[in-house]
Amino acid sequence: MKLSAPQFWRVKENQYKLVITICKNCGRKTVFKRPICPHCGSDGVEYIESAGIGVVEEFTKVYYKRDSSEDRLPEVVGVVKLREGVRVVGEIVGIRSDEVREGMEVEAVLRKYVSDEPYGIIYYGLKFKPV
Amino acid sequence: MGVHIVGGSVIKIDRHFELGYRDLAYRVIRDCSECLDVDYVVISSTLPELSAHQVDLGTHIIQWIGRRVPVVRVESGESSGLAAVELAASLVESGRVEKALVLGVEKVTEYPTYTANYLYTLTLDYEYEVLRGVTPPAYASLAMKELIKSGVRRECFSNWAIKMHENAAVVPHAMLKFKISHDSLKDTQILADPLTLYDSFAFGDGAAAVVVSSTPNRSNSSVEIVYSNTEVGLPAYAREKISDLTASAKALKESLERFGLDLRKVVVELHDSYTPYPIAILRALRYLDSECDLSNFECLNLSGGLKARGHPIGATGVYQVYEVFKLLTSGLGGKTTSSEYGIVHSMSGPDNLSRVLVLKR
Repeated sequence: MKLSAPQFWRVKENQYKLVITICKNCGRKTVFKRPICPHCGSDGVEYIESAGIGVVEEFTKVYYKRDSSEDRLPEVVGVVKLREGVRVVGEIVGIRSDEVREGMEVEAVLRKYVSDEPYGIIYYGLKFKPV
Repeated sequence: MGVHIVGGSVIKIDRHFELGYRDLAYRVIRDCSECLDVDYVVISSTLPELSAHQVDLGTHIIQWIGRRVPVVRVESGESSGLAAVELAASLVESGRVEKALVLGVEKVTEYPTYTANYLYTLTLDYEYEVLRGVTPPAYASLAMKELIKSGVRRECFSNWAIKMHENAAVVPHAMLKFKISHDSLKDTQILADPLTLYDSFAFGDGAAAVVVSSTPNRSNSSVEIVYSNTEVGLPAYAREKISDLTASAKALKESLERFGLDLRKVVVELHDSYTPYPIAILRALRYLDSECDLSNFECLNLSGGLKARGHPIGATGVYQVYEVFKLLTSGLGGKTTSSEYGIVHSMSGPDNLSRVLVLKR
């Protein structure tokens, strides 16, 4: 897989921070900084930055082997409900997969996503680890 | 002006290592006389840029089979096949063409399975889901856990898989033509706990063709396309629940109500890439309670569904349309029905987009 520096640079704000979009029209909150509310289509939106702390609502241990996943299976993917009331789906790391529990408090941390092995670009972004 | 399906052809879904995209396309139309007598071709395919380093696949296929017919390729993720049929129907309905061939073709076995899995994962949002480690079976597993929490028994999902294998066993072009039981589900490979290999579709190469025409066949061997409907859902991560497949439920409900149909009484092909999805859809439409009794459905995924007939991604929707067309006319795998209507449902990702096509005998 070839990684693109410009592509990732464009979306860095949503990869390095947890920004929440709040719609001034329908009042709904959605994870990621986005120009338009996905619920009602309004462009009357404002943004807040999440503190990155939340609770694991649900999780799954994933054994789905695919390019770029081979050295880290099983990986845990969970639904995290942030303190700001918004859900985000992401990887849970820094804990044995059989120790992850629903209700566990986690915080966002910067970790490696993928890289062009062995000397290429590396993408970093947010995952979650136990508080 | 009416729009009719007047013919078609499919090949067995399998690991066709000896056949490439253009070979699969040729194989499906070479014995289909009506397939070549058309004035427009719509090719449906999802992965050729990724799996075969090929852009403009439609043109290269048409050149390969020695035709000079206008061609366009449609790509809409897993729902590409149904999108292609929709486009062909629109071309015919508008009067632009009299007869169009829809040709769905896909190669998923050019690389090892883990690469095919990666390519399939790209039906999700690359920047906001794939890079974050989110995969299709992860979403399906989270949806399954939500459904189990809401009272659905784990056996409900297994029952779906068993029924699909039973249905596929007599379908000539199905990939997994063998029956399974609850015993065979024990100790199977886990994809994303609690989702197992038996809760997942079968990955195979395939090609399917249907001919869409402004004129029905004289011999009562055609069906009419009477309605199509597309709904776009929220990204799964932005929903209250991942198992809220509201786009599918809305598209199906609206289509059924429009014609006063009961899903249990019509021929229906539901998109069942992972077993939690059809269960969630049928529950949302209030056809299933927590017992998940599927015996009330007269013609539910008689093909075996994506689960057992197989899922050649961009070709699947064309297979579904062909199967409903056959069931409403001459029959499929020895199965016939007296139903007047057929429903085809296709979605991309976990209900990111859902399409419904209504066919009438």
